[in-house]
Amino acid sequence: MKNLIFLFLITSVITVQSQNVTREDKCFTCHEMLGDKPADLFKNDVHHLKGISCSACHGGDNTSDDIEVAMNRKKGFTGVPKGDEISEKCIACHANQNKMKSFGSNLPTNQYQNIKSSVHWRLALSGKEHIVQCTTCHNAHGIVSVKNPRSPVYPLNIPRTCSKCHSNEVFMRSFNPSLPVDQYQKYKTSQHGILNSKGDSKVAQCASCHGSHNILPVKDVNSKVYPLNIPATCSKCHSDVKYMKNYKIPTDQYTKFASSVHGKALLEKKDINAPACNDCHGNHGAVPPGVESISKVCGSCHALNAELFSSSPHKKVFDEKNYPECETCHSNHDIIEPTIKMLGVTQEAVCSKCHKETENKKGFLIARQMRELLERLEAEEKNAIKLVNEAEQKGMEISETKFKLKDIRQARLETRTIVHSFDLEKFKEVAEAKGLATTKIVIEEAKAAIDDFYFRRYGLIVFIFINSLLAISIFLYIKKLEKK
Amino acid sequence: MEKIIKSMYSWIDERLQLQDLVNFMGKKYVPIHRHSVWYYFGGLSLFLFIVQVVTGILLLFYYKGSADLAFESVQFIMSKVQFGWLIRSIHAWSANLFIFAIFVHMFSVYFEKAYRKPRELTWVTGMIMFFLALGFGFSGYLLPWNELAFFATKVGSDIAGAIPIIGEPIKIFIRGGEDVTGATLSRLFGFHVALLPGIFTMVLLIHLILIQRQGISEPMHLERFEGKEIKKMPFFPNFLLRDILFWLLVLNLLAILAVFFPPELGKKADPFAPAPAGIKPEWYFLFMFQTLKYLPANILFIEGEVVGIMLFGLAGILWLLVPFLDKKSSRGEENVLINYIGIFVVVFIIVLTILGWLS
Repeated sequence: MKNLIFLFLITSVITVQSQNVTREDKCFTCHEMLGDKPADLFKNDVHHLKGISCSACHGGDNTSDDIEVAMNRKKGFTGVPKGDEISEKCIACHANQNKMKSFGSNLPTNQYQNIKSSVHWRLALSGKEHIVQCTTCHNAHGIVSVKNPRSPVYPLNIPRTCSKCHSNEVFMRSFNPSLPVDQYQKYKTSQHGILNSKGDSKVAQCASCHGSHNILPVKDVNSKVYPLNIPATCSKCHSDVKYMKNYKIPTDQYTKFASSVHGKALLEKKDINAPACNDCHGNHGAVPPGVESISKVCGSCHALNAELFSSSPHKKVFDEKNYPECETCHSNHDIIEPTIKMLGVTQEAVCSKCHKETENKKGFLIARQMRELLERLEAEEKNAIKLVNEAEQKGMEISETKFKLKDIRQARLETRTIVHSFDLEKFKEVAEAKGLATTKIVIEEAKAAIDDFYFRRYGLIVFIFINSLLAISIFLYIKKLEKK
Repeated sequence: MEKIIKSMYSWIDERLQLQDLVNFMGKKYVPIHRHSVWYYFGGLSLFLFIVQVVTGILLLFYYKGSADLAFESVQFIMSKVQFGWLIRSIHAWSANLFIFAIFVHMFSVYFEKAYRKPRELTWVTGMIMFFLALGFGFSGYLLPWNELAFFATKVGSDIAGAIPIIGEPIKIFIRGGEDVTGATLSRLFGFHVALLPGIFTMVLLIHLILIQRQGISEPMHLERFEGKEIKKMPFFPNFLLRDILFWLLVLNLLAILAVFFPPELGKKADPFAPAPAGIKPEWYFLFMFQTLKYLPANILFIEGEVVGIMLFGLAGILWLLVPFLDKKSSRGEENVLINYIGIFVVVFIIVLTILGWLS
């Protein structure tokens, strides 16, 4: 009896195994014997290993070794799929959760949904098919898992895979002539690219920032690389302490940036002109700007400041001491809005880091005078605004004077720029000749308007008195006249 | 003092024979009764018209009637010209008081039935001046070329454009084109300072000559007591002095309004800017504007607004023709219907104006 049960079990195991693995795929057998390349590639294809036959994509009868039967159109043989037919074959299984589970796969099944909204799903030049098919990135017969280094979408291979099209200017021009085609070249020079080429699969590659199936144009607000979204995209890795552990670089850049003047403008005010990470670090060629290039990077927006600094006495000293130009005073990720407190010789002023009464005295004196001038300008401006508002509230027509307040503000803003020349005379030209002089005029005009307001009221009293006196006289005259 | 005045008077009298004029005016009498107070509103309207002419001429010295310069020139008048603010403020307030005085004068004449035979033409000339005064208001409102004025003129001329058949040509005539532009400003400026004052002065002269020829109307209830002596006062100097006294009191009011509530200038008109919320016409157009807002979109297949405009047009014509329609009053009989219609019109105007003001 025992022997009988053992024999039954052995037979059952053999039967089950033959159902899954040994069911022969006649298509593959023949084509492998013929030695054709697709069959050779398909040997290691994840689909072949899961027991999926050639006929799953090409149709036909995979049980027959008779070419007339196996590749009979009546039996559903379709041959090589063309255009969108390719993706349709993939979608048939990959968008179907139950089917995927039946093959023991836990892969997501939303790829089709994602790619439908992506930039790659636009129509190709023929107008009959979409720009990319699944096989464009994943290959056709040698498809392996994403985690397999042989996969074209394995992190180390992604840049090359994308570059096949994106570095082809003739191809790209057909779709978007303004799109650069040097991304791959730049990427190779970036810190990410260098590490990637050294076999570091953790560093960012195309899909890390742009996404994979759901790639959107940069101008799309939902794109991961839309200016407002870039800090969050970069911080996904760069703020992850665990992920960044081996790279030995700080992970607080996002927190600092978010509290900076740039971060507030970009993330709070949604001003897409404000710089995001890529504006200073580059995007495809991202590297930390070197000491010597910081002023160039900042100067691409703050051009005047950079120019003034370059011609100032500080330039030489900073170069000699190897100080990063803008960063030394303004910091980098956490640049706060510059206030008057930055200037001068108080403890919180940046000038006082190097200039003391006993050390570098000339700069100390200039910084002190600049601060005094600026404080005066700010105080006078406040007074001018107060007086203009008062005159306006009193109903006086003072729009022209009010307009001059803009000139004062402009002068005050200009001092923030001209201060980078570190030249007291130039600073005075703005703060005194422009700012304080206009402030004086505004204050005088506003005071005159307020005085005029009271003059009108006193004038009214005098007029009403005289006019009423006249009216009373006439009234009395009438009385006198009618008495007669 | 009295001596000096007398000697000055006799000096002029010797040369111009003033005494003849004084004697002539002294023979003109004004009836005295419990409704005499209403007589003063005719004189007040005349006084305010003179104020308008004088302040208007002064404003003309600095005002520039073009879309590029109008706003800035008014700004200049208000901030740089000595007492420019006062002149503009008085001109604006006096305009409002002028129209108010005309309203009061018109309704007092209406309720006293002073339009009855033989004063039908005096009423008609008065009504023409009333319409001209509204034209003064409409054309003058745009002249500062500010945002509110621009859109109010747009809305106002749009309403005129809704009149069937003649509406569109009227709108284009007012605007000087399809839209409210600098051409509209030049046109309305021309109307305001030349055309309307010219016509107004002519009609005013006729109005005054008619009053001069026919004398001041006596109320109907006094006429019925025939034989009984009606109390009268000489026009000169008694009535004229009372008139001047009233003018001086109004001048006080005008000065207070002008100093404490100067008209704002607002923002310069920008034809490409969206219309600001709550565009309303001047108060004297508000009752019509508000009525049009209450009308349904369609009344018997006709657009509600068109029906409203036609009804107001018809009401205006009927109001103008009241002396010819009210035969009873001309015969000396009491016409209660006229009183009821008048009360309805006054209540209608007041209620709709308040509703318009509050909305």
